[in-house]
Amino acid sequence: MRKIFKSPTGIIGVILLTIVLFATVFGPWIAPYDPQAFDARARLQGPSMAHWLGTDQYGRDLLSRILSGAPSTVAFGLGATVLGVGVGSVIGVIAGVAGGRTDSIIMRILDGMLAMPELLFTLLIVTFLGGGTTQAMLAVAVTFTPGMARIARSAVLSVRTREYVLAAQARGESRAWIVGREVLPNALGPIIVEATIRVSFAIMIGATLGFLGLGAQPPSTEWGLMVAEARQFMFRNPWCVAVPGLAIAITALGFNLFGDALRDAFDPKRGH
Amino acid sequence: MSHFTLSRRHVLMGLAASTALPGMSFAQGATPVSGGTLKISHSTRIATLNVLSLSGPAEYPCIDMLYSGLTRTGLDNQPHPDLATEWSANDDATEFTFILREGVTFHDGTPFTADDVVATYEAILNPDIPSAARSVLKMVEKVEALDDLTVKFTLSAPFADLPYSTAHANARILSRAALEGDLSKLDTTANGTGPFKLETYDSARMVRLVKNETYYKPGQPYLDAVEMMLFPDLAAETANFLSGATDVMLTVQQADFQRISDSAGVEAQQVGSGRYVCVVMRQDQEPWNDVRVRKAFGMAVDRELLVEVILEGLGRPAYDSIVAPEIEYATDKPVIPYDPEAARALLAEAGYPDGLKVTLVASDRPAIRAQTAIAIQQTAGAAGFDVEIKTMPHDTYLAEEWMKGDFYIGYWGMQPTIDATYNLLLTSDASYQDTEWKNEAFDALVAEGRSTVDPEKRAEIYAKAQALELEQSPYIVPFFEDVLTASRETTVDWHIAPISRFFFIEDVWMNKA
Repeated sequence: MRKIFKSPTGIIGVILLTIVLFATVFGPWIAPYDPQAFDARARLQGPSMAHWLGTDQYGRDLLSRILSGAPSTVAFGLGATVLGVGVGSVIGVIAGVAGGRTDSIIMRILDGMLAMPELLFTLLIVTFLGGGTTQAMLAVAVTFTPGMARIARSAVLSVRTREYVLAAQARGESRAWIVGREVLPNALGPIIVEATIRVSFAIMIGATLGFLGLGAQPPSTEWGLMVAEARQFMFRNPWCVAVPGLAIAITALGFNLFGDALRDAFDPKRGH
Repeated sequence: MSHFTLSRRHVLMGLAASTALPGMSFAQGATPVSGGTLKISHSTRIATLNVLSLSGPAEYPCIDMLYSGLTRTGLDNQPHPDLATEWSANDDATEFTFILREGVTFHDGTPFTADDVVATYEAILNPDIPSAARSVLKMVEKVEALDDLTVKFTLSAPFADLPYSTAHANARILSRAALEGDLSKLDTTANGTGPFKLETYDSARMVRLVKNETYYKPGQPYLDAVEMMLFPDLAAETANFLSGATDVMLTVQQADFQRISDSAGVEAQQVGSGRYVCVVMRQDQEPWNDVRVRKAFGMAVDRELLVEVILEGLGRPAYDSIVAPEIEYATDKPVIPYDPEAARALLAEAGYPDGLKVTLVASDRPAIRAQTAIAIQQTAGAAGFDVEIKTMPHDTYLAEEWMKGDFYIGYWGMQPTIDATYNLLLTSDASYQDTEWKNEAFDALVAEGRSTVDPEKRAEIYAKAQALELEQSPYIVPFFEDVLTASRETTVDWHIAPISRFFFIEDVWMNKA
């Protein structure tokens, strides 16, 4: 953990993440206004003392909406990643451990899925499942699965031939025990690093889907949806587009920088 | 030019609610100049030119240019002569005789006769052919040509509004040859009698129409050509219009209206119309079967706020009647003030002292449905209605909710007459009867009004029907939405009728001096 603070990107990442996680946990409580309350007299206003980040087309307080939307937006990113990483890792570990024909079949299928651009694939799944937050989360998870499986498999392969695994095999340990106690713990590093970086992608794809009307639905305060709803009013109050856009950028950047720093920290070659 | 455009613009800006000025003859004596190409931008595809069945917002101006009907709805919302120069009815409104215009030819040069009228109406009434105008013409029993220029309609029931029905945008006259040929050709070709002829049809990009030299109005149209240009992106459409690349924006979004009307060299028009959003409450089950609950909900809707927030002020509050003020025989509706206290009291009286929890469904297209739902949720909360909003994709809404659900947001365009308005939604056998309100006294009044010819008696009957509607509140109608359009100041006499299906582009000319 100390290594993370050595690089400036790591420090920035940690700071951004702290802000985002603070907003995620406490946001709904510290929001100064009801995020859905209309105020016809204060529509499309810039930042002021009453509304720190301005108001949207219905006079709703943007700061309150951002804060109240933080949990759902971050939860979406984390949820989709955990689901995708979980399923992908299991597939990857199975492929890596089994080897041979099973490995070939699984990996060729996943290669086929990887051939499709990520966003396009997500859109395809959402169109198939129908719009909505849960469906969008599932779609992102499915899209993440093949990539994660590849990474998990390669991590397993690099560990599988190490001496301690061979020693365990020589001891006559069961295969499940070897995978659970020897292979997985040592292959976990790269998976965690990749997962952290992917959270930022998940948040951005989630926001994209919300923007396209395929994710969260009004009156949700999901950030991508906020950008989409405010887009018409961009010329009258740029803040109502900029604020949720910046929030998405900060969150994505936070996870990304943190993931990068985590990778550097795990990488023994970059240790010095 | 400047004094001319300035005053014109001011006159137009003041026309918010009163567009009933036929001809709009305040062009201050300026003589129209022939020539020029009018470029109209629109944001929805022109998917077909099939005049019998099309319904797209950008398709209507095309058929208004390509075809003519027997009658045509004017800016005053009344039927005016088009291919028929005059018409008369017998006393009980069961027989109508139309005298046709002489010397009219189709675009391919063949003469227009009564036989084409008969063929067209037979096609409209043929249940095997998809046709949008059939619902307003279903009482027509027989159409016959008495001679080359006289057509007689025999009706199965009295119907005084037949000239309004013949002015339906989809009841334009086709040639018998076209109707007897391959009907799928109507999608991409057009042989009408209208002021413009089809030159290019490319539904993904542009539809180009050119002047019909033999149009029946002498000297018209003034324009050499009209180009309908598709801009799927609203921001691009606005930018092109403001830069002068296009002359007319067919539809302006509410959010952009102020910015566009403030721009130099541009004339933005706001036309009072009868387009509305309504809250549908199914009345064969609790809680909406109780008129007190419906009335309470009506008082829980802050109409002024909705007009301000959702329509940007570009509309008028409505008071739970689907009959817009532009429609003939419309009565003045009493204001229903926003009164959460009274609503709460009425709700308690109806047996819900702790308020009522309801789920309001809104489709995601167009956005105004969900916007209205969100705004109503806000204002109704204070009155004890705990409204939960469920938005869904439009296809899901049509399949699962529309005509079935008990509480959802509807969105309807304007109808030309009070008869058409009520027979679309409110009578027991209405085309889209989705409230299960079914009031026999109301049905009787609408039927009586339909068969009465005397205008005074009709006004009386329709006043009673509207009073009944207000008393029972079968729908919550929060507002009427204005039709918004914009043209460059070099484009003279660009108009949209309140019903937004009639455009009179043969009157438009370019002042590029």
